Amino acid sequence: MMKTQQKAHKNTTKRFKNMATRAHSHDAKKPQFTDPAVQDVLSRITGLELQKVFRPIKRELKLPSYKLMTDEQLNQAINNASEQAKKLLQMPLVLPERKPIDDVLSEDPFLAGMDTAKYVFTDITYNVPHRLFKCFQKFGDVGERDRLVQVYFPKEGRKLTPYHIFKEENLKMVFSMDRHEDVLDLCLVQFEPDSSDYIKVHMSTYEDLDKHGKYDLLRSTRHFGGLAWYLVNARRVDGLIVDMLKRDLLQDAVSLVSLFHMVHPHSESAQEAALQQATGADLLKVRLGFPYNKSTYTIVFF
Amino acid sequence: MVHLSSVLLKQYHGGYVVLRLALAGHNQANRPFYRIVAAFNKRARDGKYIEQLGTYDPLPNIYNEKLVSFNYDRIKYWYGCGAHPTKSVAKLLGLAGFFPLHPMTVTGAERHRAQAAQMDASIIKDEEEEQG
Repeated sequence: MMKTQQKAHKNTTKRFKNMATRAHSHDAKKPQFTDPAVQDVLSRITGLELQKVFRPIKRELKLPSYKLMTDEQLNQAINNASEQAKKLLQMPLVLPERKPIDDVLSEDPFLAGMDTAKYVFTDITYNVPHRLFKCFQKFGDVGERDRLVQVYFPKEGRKLTPYHIFKEENLKMVFSMDRHEDVLDLCLVQFEPDSSDYIKVHMSTYEDLDKHGKYDLLRSTRHFGGLAWYLVNARRVDGLIVDMLKRDLLQDAVSLVSLFHMVHPHSESAQEAALQQATGADLLKVRLGFPYNKSTYTIVFF
Repeated sequence: MVHLSSVLLKQYHGGYVVLRLALAGHNQANRPFYRIVAAFNKRARDGKYIEQLGTYDPLPNIYNEKLVSFNYDRIKYWYGCGAHPTKSVAKLLGLAGFFPLHPMTVTGAERHRAQAAQMDASIIKDEEEEQG
């Protein structure tokens, strides 16, 4: 029996707002990714290494320009560069997975056998920000909708069929070459932030980074905040803290621990810290007293 | 350009506005692609139109879908100005849910089903004859 099934999709911004408010109402005390406090901590941890942010990227060949500047002008130029770097380091949204909308608007069994192919109707009205999308026969998932949106409203850099690099085997190869950042950039261009593919790719990237301890690859890029948030939610920050301490980033480690306590206020270390009213290095000592994974590591405190 | 209402259109142009499928790009044989278009009745089918309101690709793609797009806002405007849709456009709009279902869609489906049943019956008969 053939079905006419139609999905109506609402405005994306409205949908994202709805999701955020719904998440808020469920666990109102739990801080979300978009909270200003959380964002502040994450941007501090990301760091601002100008050399890495403005490293040479493949682009159009241009002759280098040389300028003669006074000290003040040089400082000004550096300030401008750091402003630009902050814009470049803007973190992409972390959203829960989008559920496929499965509204069957009408089922007409008398239309069975009409045609061998499905009909897909798209609304291309100018001022509707996200288009009404209807289809003739039973549709599956979000991926098809993304593909059709790309057909009628193409975004630069996106392809209709996703790159082969996002398949499991190819991802492993890319990770062995330490090119996590490129994968994440490509993923950002290709997928919507709330599609399952995006979340899967990010998860596998972060897992791989965590396993090998290669956190420094993402430091000073826009993906570091996402990595930190994922690890905090998965309660596996130990590796990251150790890495920070090894590189003498004490402040970053302290802010990471405070973020962890913000997000998981009922964990043992958070309660211990609240009891002792610990700040700074004391906070770290409290946290490291409760290792969550059984991996053994030795840290020398001075 | 000011779009005249249907009464004035009739007096001035001696015709009316029509929403129809116009073939786009005569550069490929056996590969049709239609634009859903608001045009004057007397104009050539593929000639100058007033406004493009959508597309229709009659050949299914690799996912077995026929892609149709409509600009509902402008279709509403032209329909309000007194445009007449042709049979195919009316059928597509009926399937989309914008218009009520065109009766020939249902009749067409029934005819397809009857034909398919007849084909199946003849295939079964041939197989029996081969066996027997």
